[in-house]
Amino acid sequence: MISNCSYIGKGLAFTLELTFGGVAIGLILGCLLSVLRHCRICIALINGWVSVIRGTPLILQMSIIYFSFPSLMGVKLSMLSAGIISFGLNSSAYVAEILRSGIESLPKGQFEAAQTLGIPNFFLWKDIILPQVILNILPAMINEVIALLKDTTLISVIGGMDIMRRSQIIAAEQFEYFMPLCTAAAYYYCLVLLIEFVGRKIERRMGYAKNS
Amino acid sequence: MLKIHNASKSFGSTRVLDDVNINVAKSEILGLAGPSGSGKSTLLRCIQKLEHLDSGSVECNEKTGFMFQDFQLFPHMTVLANLLYAPNLGKKNTNCCKNNEKRAKAMLKNLGIASKIHEYPGSLSGGQKQRVALARSLMMNPGVLLCDEPTSGLDVATTMDVVSLLKSIGETGVTMVIASHDLDFLTKISDRIILLREGKIVADMKAKNHKNPVDYLKKYYA
Ligand SMILES: Nc1ncnc2c1ncn2[C@@H]1O[C@H](COP(=O)(O)OP(=O)(O)OP(=O)(O)O)[C@@H](O)[C@H]1O
Ligand SMILES: [Mg+2]
Repeated sequence: MISNCSYIGKGLAFTLELTFGGVAIGLILGCLLSVLRHCRICIALINGWVSVIRGTPLILQMSIIYFSFPSLMGVKLSMLSAGIISFGLNSSAYVAEILRSGIESLPKGQFEAAQTLGIPNFFLWKDIILPQVILNILPAMINEVIALLKDTTLISVIGGMDIMRRSQIIAAEQFEYFMPLCTAAAYYYCLVLLIEFVGRKIERRMGYAKNS
Repeated sequence: MLKIHNASKSFGSTRVLDDVNINVAKSEILGLAGPSGSGKSTLLRCIQKLEHLDSGSVECNEKTGFMFQDFQLFPHMTVLANLLYAPNLGKKNTNCCKNNEKRAKAMLKNLGIASKIHEYPGSLSGGQKQRVALARSLMMNPGVLLCDEPTSGLDVATTMDVVSLLKSIGETGVTMVIASHDLDFLTKISDRIILLREGKIVADMKAKNHKNPVDYLKKYYA
């Protein structure tokens, strides 16, 4: 029992690497996408990207990257990098959407007020708009991180040894499904609780201005 | 001082401002009255260049300040930071920032909200937000102050406060254009009242020349 637990727990690092790698790429790329959305030439391209990513299954995107890239481009990706890239690319589309709705939900008057006070564009975004947007989208972002964490279980499909896959291996070896799978569930649940806890902490620290 | 010349503006097919001509003298307090949708806000926004005229021009040789009906304070900044952010922007000189801070504090004290200086706008009442918004635009030393519905949502007593506040600002030589539904308020505060209807000026009067200016203006609403 204890050895099963620790065998499954060895997947923890892999799962966390996938999650945080994916979140990092998703955040950076998502921000980039939502900035580029303001440039006329890129709009169609980015909207297309977001639409395709959201319109196809993640497991399929991952399979394309892991199985077909070697023959297409002659590069063999490790399981970890293939996972991080697919989760990151996938997440970027959702992050870009979250940012877009966060910016759109700010009253137009905030931009106008800054304009009447002669605040230049760079400072308008840095000091007036983005701090408010970040506060607004924090709950949605935390949801996105949690969703990504749970989506990393898909890596077991291409053979990645994460928590999920390890619990399945034990189950198959010992012909006993309930305990190994529940152990995996407990690991994921604790991770989600941890993310929620950190998220609430950040929210509370920033949550001075809930109702303007 | 402030010259609005043949100003016209349409949104789609509706003509919101129709050949409006107004000259506002230095230090004059001009009231803008008119039914809902008559173009008061649009006129103010055109003066502030938040909106572009289709034709005509606005000439103003002084800096303008704008007070929004819904204040538009920055909710993530304290009251003091709201006042200081724009005037201190890009100022390397600490003396200048110190002076601004002194001025801001004095202004908040004058407006009776000194105790709220470190609070966030979310915890202020409507009247208090109003004062902060007023102080924030005054920090930029505008020669012309444009106010959109400064008394909407305020009770009678607070409205009277706003009257005396704006009057005292007017006495420092600031020119004002104030749009409002509240005819009583407008006649108390304005040197002159212009009444808009469907984007046209239909009355241009001085309150002190009428025995009952509110009734006089009301006729145009029918
Ligand atoms: N951005 C906009 N797009 C389209 N129509 C607009 C826009 N802004 C104003 N309008 C229209 O212009 C007309 C005049 O609006 P405006 O806000 O200037 O009126 P107002 O006199 O300030 O009214 P109120 O007293 O209700 O504030 C209205 O019919 C309104 O629907
Ligand atoms: Mg209006």
